[in-house]
Amino acid sequence: MLGGPRPPQPHSLTMFAYLIRRILITIPLALGVVLVVTVSFDLIPGDPAALILGEFATPQAIAELRTSLGLDRSLPVRYVTYVGDILRGDLGVSIRDRRPVTDILAETFPYTIQLALVAILLVLAVGIPLGLLAASRPGSWIDNLIRVTSLAGLSMPVFWTGIVFMVIFSVNLRWFPVSGTGTWRHLVLPAVTLALPSIAVVARMTRSTVLEVLREDFVRTARAKGVAERSLLYKHTLRNALIPVVTVMGLQLGQMLGGAVLTETVFAWPGVGRLTVFAIFNRDFVLMQGLVLVLAMVYVFVNLLVDLSYGVIDPRVRYQ
Amino acid sequence: MKTRMWTVLLCVAVLAAGAAFAQKTLTIVRPSDPVALDPHLETTAPGSWVYTQILEPLITVNQDMEIVGRLATSWEFVDPSRLRFTLRQGVTFHDGTPFNADAVKYTWDRAISSDPPGRWRSLASAVVGAEVVDEFTVDIVASQPFGPLELVAAMPYTAIVSPTAVEAVGSDAFTRAPVGTGPFKFVEWRANDRIVLEANDDYWRGRPALDQVIFRTVPEEGARMLSLRTGEADMVLLPTPSDLPALEADPNFIVEGAPGVGIFYLAFNLDRPNVADVRVRQAVAHAIDRELIVEAILEGGGVLAKSVIGEPVFGFKDMELLERYPYDPERARALLVEAGYTQGSDGFMRDAAGNVLTLQALPSNGRSLKDREIAETLQEFLRQAGIAVELDIFEWATTFQLMRGETLDYDLNSFTWFTTTADADYTMYSNYVSTEVPPASWNRWRYANPQVDEWLKAARASLDPAERAELYGLVQDQLAIDLPAIPLYGSFEVAVLSADVTGFVAHPIQYLLDLFPVDKR
Repeated sequence: MLGGPRPPQPHSLTMFAYLIRRILITIPLALGVVLVVTVSFDLIPGDPAALILGEFATPQAIAELRTSLGLDRSLPVRYVTYVGDILRGDLGVSIRDRRPVTDILAETFPYTIQLALVAILLVLAVGIPLGLLAASRPGSWIDNLIRVTSLAGLSMPVFWTGIVFMVIFSVNLRWFPVSGTGTWRHLVLPAVTLALPSIAVVARMTRSTVLEVLREDFVRTARAKGVAERSLLYKHTLRNALIPVVTVMGLQLGQMLGGAVLTETVFAWPGVGRLTVFAIFNRDFVLMQGLVLVLAMVYVFVNLLVDLSYGVIDPRVRYQ
Repeated sequence: MKTRMWTVLLCVAVLAAGAAFAQKTLTIVRPSDPVALDPHLETTAPGSWVYTQILEPLITVNQDMEIVGRLATSWEFVDPSRLRFTLRQGVTFHDGTPFNADAVKYTWDRAISSDPPGRWRSLASAVVGAEVVDEFTVDIVASQPFGPLELVAAMPYTAIVSPTAVEAVGSDAFTRAPVGTGPFKFVEWRANDRIVLEANDDYWRGRPALDQVIFRTVPEEGARMLSLRTGEADMVLLPTPSDLPALEADPNFIVEGAPGVGIFYLAFNLDRPNVADVRVRQAVAHAIDRELIVEAILEGGGVLAKSVIGEPVFGFKDMELLERYPYDPERARALLVEAGYTQGSDGFMRDAAGNVLTLQALPSNGRSLKDREIAETLQEFLRQAGIAVELDIFEWATTFQLMRGETLDYDLNSFTWFTTTADADYTMYSNYVSTEVPPASWNRWRYANPQVDEWLKAARASLDPAERAELYGLVQDQLAIDLPAIPLYGSFEVAVLSADVTGFVAHPIQYLLDLFPVDKR
């Protein structure tokens, strides 16, 4: 964030080559991630066939079920077969549900994406302006109020805020339904609950990076030149301050896409978070492999978007 | 005058149309989504709550624990291993195909002999299959004389499926869109969200009063109760026990419950030296205040257990545990002293070598109502009697695996067993016969009493209910003396409904949910 243009860097690639390189890296990543899941399920106690049969489990029934589910093959065989299947677009059949994993994921991901997108938009629309507001009046009562409430927003556990919102807005005010899916109203409370901690983090982050940038030499220079305060704030400082904030938002989005299990549980939102927890409890490693694979791809994609956005925000950034 | 008449007629027409379109929908919320809607793949109650509206067995057990005919009008043993059913005529499946003996045989063959078999196959025990006698007569056949055969045939898992539908879409697809003869037809299943059923206009008992039933998955207990309050849900299954007294007093809600067929118990592993002495087990029984557990921890969510099987189960006999083993920590200590332990200065009982009497416990966690809280309470109760307890609390999959291992490195284990067939044989045989040890079966306490083995085998083979009941009585008396397990509480099947809902009666068997007589204002 130094003043003035940087000299051109050696080995700077075009956007296209950069993209290709990033995409190619995902292949060993995918293989590695699937290997970790396969091996860890083998290491932990718990047999999916026995869990499925439950009370009805006899060794014979378990053995028959294991054979019919292909669980009696060795680990290397299972791994290699699975990788071969992935290349053909087949993510296998869920052990518990007997349904193609691709079907399950196709049903579940849209709900998660809906929730995460609305939540991250809220973070963008509320978190950044709040941070800017606090930074523009440092030490004032507004600044203190924003800092304290964002600390509160960070500290309150999601399952608590969720139920509190439910009681206030669903039961007492009847503005929104208690839980479930269906209309835009069903999205509001879960999205706000999910977004709250991230809004707090982003507000604080924006505030501190903006304050930092405002202290830079080039800002003092611009002020001395007579640039209006408002233009100063938005045009000059915000672009510089945004880079770390966008990084953090990328991480938040990744988390929302994979791990919103508490919000999903409280509001009965049928998303990927809950699905992951059930897959682990049921030792449904086929479903888990598919989930982890798709989630890894999603994280890579989100990270790629964040990296590409740096170039948009700050044209001085070069790709390597 | 004419205008006014037309206005009135128009209003009446609109009202009538409105009434015709106003659907009576019952919305039910419960914590989890089923695996499948077909007993072939579904072994849990959340699944059966749905599929018992769509699929019907030949006979069933009603809320008064009597066996009544559903798709069968009469039945009798033609020999001790063969039960003959006369089928109801004029019944059709939801796809229009006729119900007959072939459909019954198809269903049983699919469950027992296909590859892979139905996931409940091991429950069929000695049953080998069904044989067609004529279009409306079918035999269910066992490999040996089998007294429980009637109650096995009454299990919800034996519900009859439409062979045409299974063949048309394939077995796996059928389990997600079943076709049966029941009062409601399957409409839609949005995974982890909702299952929608609609009334079967041609149902043989007459069309149900409800037009539509929606099962919604709401994992969070608080959210379920709040849905009831806002009217988003009409019925809550597995409600919060501590809310029940307030809801009972509230005229806007109905609390409908029945003591169930599940028993949560503390089991001993008789292979382990620490609990091999019956006096130690008796001491543990005296050290626990079971009434306090039911009152203070369960808050009305369970009832005091009187035996190792639930009161509604056929063969139940009161083991008189409160009389035999009243809460008495002093008596507990006295028994331990008799068993050769001495009290140390720290209050703990020590053996001859000076080691504190320590029991390793593997409690169930998050599986039964308040199981974790009860485990911690038991630890404290036993500490007050001088026994140290070490708890190993794991997540269910791990606990389950350990419980079913060939050896069990624990002295204590807690679990709930539901006698799903409501016949004592289902629980007693696999739990207490000496050869039924893990991993093959459920005698996790390695209990071996040859006299009990004899009684249980005789009870299984007999077809005379009075004789069977007597034998099970003898077994329970013996178990009260040998004490391989201490029953703690019995399940209580309870639902909370809005006062607009009428006709619902809770069923002691947790798998059954009778929605046919239900209506909504």
